[in-house]
Amino acid sequence: MASRKALPVRLIVYAVLVAIAIVDFYPIVYMAVNSSRTSVDFFQNPGGLPDAWHLDNFKALYYRFDVLRLFGNTLLDALLAFAVTIVLSVPASFAFAKLRFPYRSGLYMIVIATMAIPGITFVIPNFVLMSRLGLVDHPGSVILIWAVTAVPSNIFLLVALMRGIPNEVLEAGKIDGISYVQTLARIVMPLSVPGIVTLAIFNTTGWWNDLFTPLIFLQSDDLKTMTVAVATILKRFDTDYPLLLAGLFMTSIPPIAIYVALQSHIKKGLVIGSVK
Amino acid sequence: MHFRTKESMTGYLSLLPAFAALAAIVFYPMVNTFFHSFTKWNGAESHWIGLRNYTFIFTNGELWTLLRNNAVFLLSIPGILLLSLVVSVLLFEEVRGWRFFRSLYYIPTILSSVVVGMLMKMMFAQSGVVNQLLHALGLTDGKTEWLTQVPTAFMVLIFCFYWQTLGQGALIFLSGLSAISHEIFESADLDGAGWWQRLFHITIPSLVPTIVYFTVTNAIYCFIGLFSLVYAVTQGGPGRETTPIDYMIYIKAFQTPDQLGYASALSIVLFAIALLASWVQIRLSNRYQD
Repeated sequence: MASRKALPVRLIVYAVLVAIAIVDFYPIVYMAVNSSRTSVDFFQNPGGLPDAWHLDNFKALYYRFDVLRLFGNTLLDALLAFAVTIVLSVPASFAFAKLRFPYRSGLYMIVIATMAIPGITFVIPNFVLMSRLGLVDHPGSVILIWAVTAVPSNIFLLVALMRGIPNEVLEAGKIDGISYVQTLARIVMPLSVPGIVTLAIFNTTGWWNDLFTPLIFLQSDDLKTMTVAVATILKRFDTDYPLLLAGLFMTSIPPIAIYVALQSHIKKGLVIGSVK
Repeated sequence: MHFRTKESMTGYLSLLPAFAALAAIVFYPMVNTFFHSFTKWNGAESHWIGLRNYTFIFTNGELWTLLRNNAVFLLSIPGILLLSLVVSVLLFEEVRGWRFFRSLYYIPTILSSVVVGMLMKMMFAQSGVVNQLLHALGLTDGKTEWLTQVPTAFMVLIFCFYWQTLGQGALIFLSGLSAISHEIFESADLDGAGWWQRLFHITIPSLVPTIVYFTVTNAIYCFIGLFSLVYAVTQGGPGRETTPIDYMIYIKAFQTPDQLGYASALSIVLFAIALLASWVQIRLSNRYQD
């Protein structure tokens, strides 16, 4: 509906959009700019620009808070959780999408209904369970809980995608006499790559940003994920705003980088289910 | 026949790992929570106390404070809905650079609620940049203590919620708008419909399913997704005045000794609310799906 509009109308539209853009983006600029100030400089004028650009806060994060280790923890936990969740989700999704067996739709409804259960309502027994298994304060608990709680929504997306795999391709595999596991590995997985990439983006950024699960299951500072570390370790220094802002800024870089690099995938995934 | 049974076996075996994992990490703990909601429980030992946790929840008045706090967020949804709609309709005019605006608006959505909350907490601090700005504009004395009073603490939380949600709103409403067929707009143009007529007779009615989706998903978020934000900004304070149900479960379960039974009962109440919300979602989405 790109009709020609009068100039004043277009100016008003622009003014509104730019004003919202400023409110939207200023806090991010604020975070980036102030993370390179000293705290003395900051408190003289919180809204101003740095008198000089310092990298001291980032050095402190590197030397005193071992930020590389925190990044590594988060990345490793997320990668392992993703491997587990895919191993659990792919066979189930294929069965729901392409195999015929009694109670298929009933079982599928159970999986879908599970998406509505809030995570906090079953965390207490899991905490008791994990402490009996010796997995509290061990990355295993976080990896397991991340991986399993992601299964229902991952199945939901993969089933929608796998229904589109042409039956002829699968029949051809059967005629060649390849086994079921080979069918999954050689035919289904490669054809599902776009969906799996979308899931990788959503799951890992969700886990990167997650506070609740790692906050409850990890206590030692050297096991924490980046987001939890910022909320707990760095918070102990909460009078040093620029240091805290540097921590927040570093926590934000990976999700923003993923978003900028993979925008089109993210949009496709988010819109699923929202239109009709 | 043999072939069919084999296919069934393969199907069930494929489902087995996922269902076993869900049973261990979701279904069994859910049943366990339900059982322990009738007990006094410290994590190791529990004894049956019947409905006492529930009667306590419903009679001591705390639940109503918690529900009020969730309701404050719920009541803020129409505001962000309207804002997202306005932004999307303006962007849909295909002003130059609309893609740029859409991408920019989306950035806050991808940040962790923890980052958003802690960032806003600093900006809204007494010596922070928001007070500085309001003072410079001559609107306040620049000494507002945002987080120690209830109304302003909610304003900061809701500002965070809006700031994070606008990008999602703009994105899904824009895709809703682009799903409307061009022919409808063209025939409206031929009939001589003006911009406002087109807005209220075509654009808004066609967006109803998307509006329902946006409202319901955010309503569910207001019951089950506020934990990180509240943790980062107010920690539920002052007092319990900004504590929603999920944050209260965390406090009772992990910050207070011997309250696991009570926390379980509160979890079941939240579970019932979540079920109700999902039921409403299914009913509404069926109605708007011809």
